[in-house]
Amino acid sequence: MNGISVDVNHLKKGEVNLGTSIMACKFDGGVILGADSRTTTGSFIANRVTDKLTQVHEKIWCCRSGSAADTQAVADIVHYHLQAYSAQNDRDPSAKVAASLFQELCYSNKDSLSAGIIVAGFDEMTGGEVYSIPLGGSLHKQEYAIAGSGSTYIYGFCNTHFKSNMSEDEVIQFVKTALAEAIKWDGSSGGVIRMVVLTKEGPRRLIFYPDEYEKICN
Amino acid sequence: MSNPQEINGGAAVAMVGKDCVAIACDLRMGSSALGVSNDFEKIFNYGNVYLGLTGLATDVLTLSDVFKFKTNLYKMREERAIEPQTFANLVSSTLYEKRFGPYFVGPIVAGINSVDNKPFICGFDLIGCIDFAKDFIVSGTASDQLYGMCESLWEPGLEADDLFETISQALLNGLDRDALSGWGAVVYIITKEKVVKRLLKTRQD
Amino acid sequence: MPGLSFENYQRNQHLATSGFAVPKTTSTGTTIVGCKFDGGVVIAADTRATAGDIVADKNCEKLHCISSNIWCAGAGTAADTEMVTQIISSNIELHSLSTGRQPRVVTCLTMLKQHLFKYQGHIGAYLIVAGVDPTGPQLMSIHAHGSTDIGYYLSLGSGSMAAMAVLESKWKREMNKEEAMALCTEAIESGIWNDLGSGSNVDMCVMEVGKDSVLHRNYRTPNVRAQKERSYKFARGTTGILGQTVRNLVDVVEVPIANEEMEVDS
Repeated sequence: MNGISVDVNHLKKGEVNLGTSIMACKFDGGVILGADSRTTTGSFIANRVTDKLTQVHEKIWCCRSGSAADTQAVADIVHYHLQAYSAQNDRDPSAKVAASLFQELCYSNKDSLSAGIIVAGFDEMTGGEVYSIPLGGSLHKQEYAIAGSGSTYIYGFCNTHFKSNMSEDEVIQFVKTALAEAIKWDGSSGGVIRMVVLTKEGPRRLIFYPDEYEKICN
Repeated sequence: MSNPQEINGGAAVAMVGKDCVAIACDLRMGSSALGVSNDFEKIFNYGNVYLGLTGLATDVLTLSDVFKFKTNLYKMREERAIEPQTFANLVSSTLYEKRFGPYFVGPIVAGINSVDNKPFICGFDLIGCIDFAKDFIVSGTASDQLYGMCESLWEPGLEADDLFETISQALLNGLDRDALSGWGAVVYIITKEKVVKRLLKTRQD
Repeated sequence: MPGLSFENYQRNQHLATSGFAVPKTTSTGTTIVGCKFDGGVVIAADTRATAGDIVADKNCEKLHCISSNIWCAGAGTAADTEMVTQIISSNIELHSLSTGRQPRVVTCLTMLKQHLFKYQGHIGAYLIVAGVDPTGPQLMSIHAHGSTDIGYYLSLGSGSMAAMAVLESKWKREMNKEEAMALCTEAIESGIWNDLGSGSNVDMCVMEVGKDSVLHRNYRTPNVRAQKERSYKFARGTTGILGQTVRNLVDVVEVPIANEEMEVDS
């Protein structure tokens, strides 16, 4: 017994799974989120162009991993609360508020949810924050966060190559390379690499196709 | 052990003919291999609609009473008898209400619409999915056999008397290859003028 | 759903634990697809319903109307796709009445996903939702657990692999209506021939911007039953009868005949 056990039967039978590689990272001027685009039901690819980067407020986004149904439901609820928040307080919520909402939902429903979520948001006060909420519903503020089944392959890479205060071009290259490696080694990750860059200008979407990113780690 | 729909045994079938419909069932009710009754009719009448109910006998009786109650209420409120199509939707919603604790039955409906005089038959699964058929519907423990019989014997445009022979032979020969069904059979031939109920001569083993 | 009853649940659970197998429900086996085109969207389905390995219905309808501009193709448990579709159809009608706006596909999608998520996958409905609304043509899919996807072309059901093989190899951007209809037909036929759970005919629904949606029931019928070579009609009197009762349905109505007594004034 090694003390580590993974409950493979946790997902309900036939449930759509985001067997995922996702990450988010702070940089000089904002935050960036990245994800692959594969969703699977067992060994079948249910969608090869999935969008796992979900907007919950103008400059607060999240990366979803785990059950597609659970994470969509949680993101929809947070989206609702953040809209109510900005309407009632007449100002945008901080990333921390969003992350706390996610954590509250994930922790109080931990028995029935399988959701691993990374929350990243930009605000003028902090210049961007990244929060990780893994399976049990704990909340971790990080410089960068990686999650999903593919992330196990890139812990080493990210640890050696991450630098504080990277430029935008540097951080895009960092995320692209990390996800390209994750996709390469993880069978349940694949498709295109999607990114969202959050700066004071607002959100900006990027997409990278296999022809391009596969060259990085031939 | 088998499934609850096969404890008591029994089979039913409905067919469409030219300006007529027919519905028939066996008369056996058993407890697995032990025969209990040879007088257990599985066809129930509500105005100009006929309902065949196979499956778990306790649910057959419960549901037949539920529909008696609901169609009586319908008649009082609407001041007219229920039409077959309306009744089919009533059966469907009644069964789906018990989606997560269903009655173990296989209902079939037959009748002639009193407005346009068109024949109507349909069948259901145990949670109320309607199967609208233009030819025939089978149900019960002999349904596999009945599918085979009806698929070969049925043809479009049968007159009432021919329809009687076809449905009777389909049922009789189907029943002979099912140990849980038999012990007598009845057939209803429904036209817009009259309903003829015939008791068939069957094997008694 | 309000009003679902669990009255028999304990009894049935008891039966299940004492060794009685749980009976089969009708499944729509199914190949369903959807595809967008310039100025509209098309969905299609096969027409076979199965109960285990028995074909329960050879020509069932898997295309459900949610509102005049939104249609839905259903796979999975047949009763669930029918009922969930009817419930949402009625809620969409009420919603559009109270807002005074044409219903949108996203509204429908959100209602469906929240309903299905609430039931945690126990309502086995897998749907492709499509339609045209004020925001243009829309095409989305929902799985029983409540997850949703968006796409230019989608397939669902047991024949989804066969259908997706066709879609992946022949789909292209900027198709016209006829091309999209031909592609969907071919995808469904691929399911009909190659998937055991799918069969019989092709149903199709075309929704175009600024036009009424058109349902093509039995758009293709590649499995018409051949005329029987011989009649199996029995001679009248073949079946032995033990007794007969007749119930007369012709009402006897007394009609008063006009005569002297009927005169009101004289």
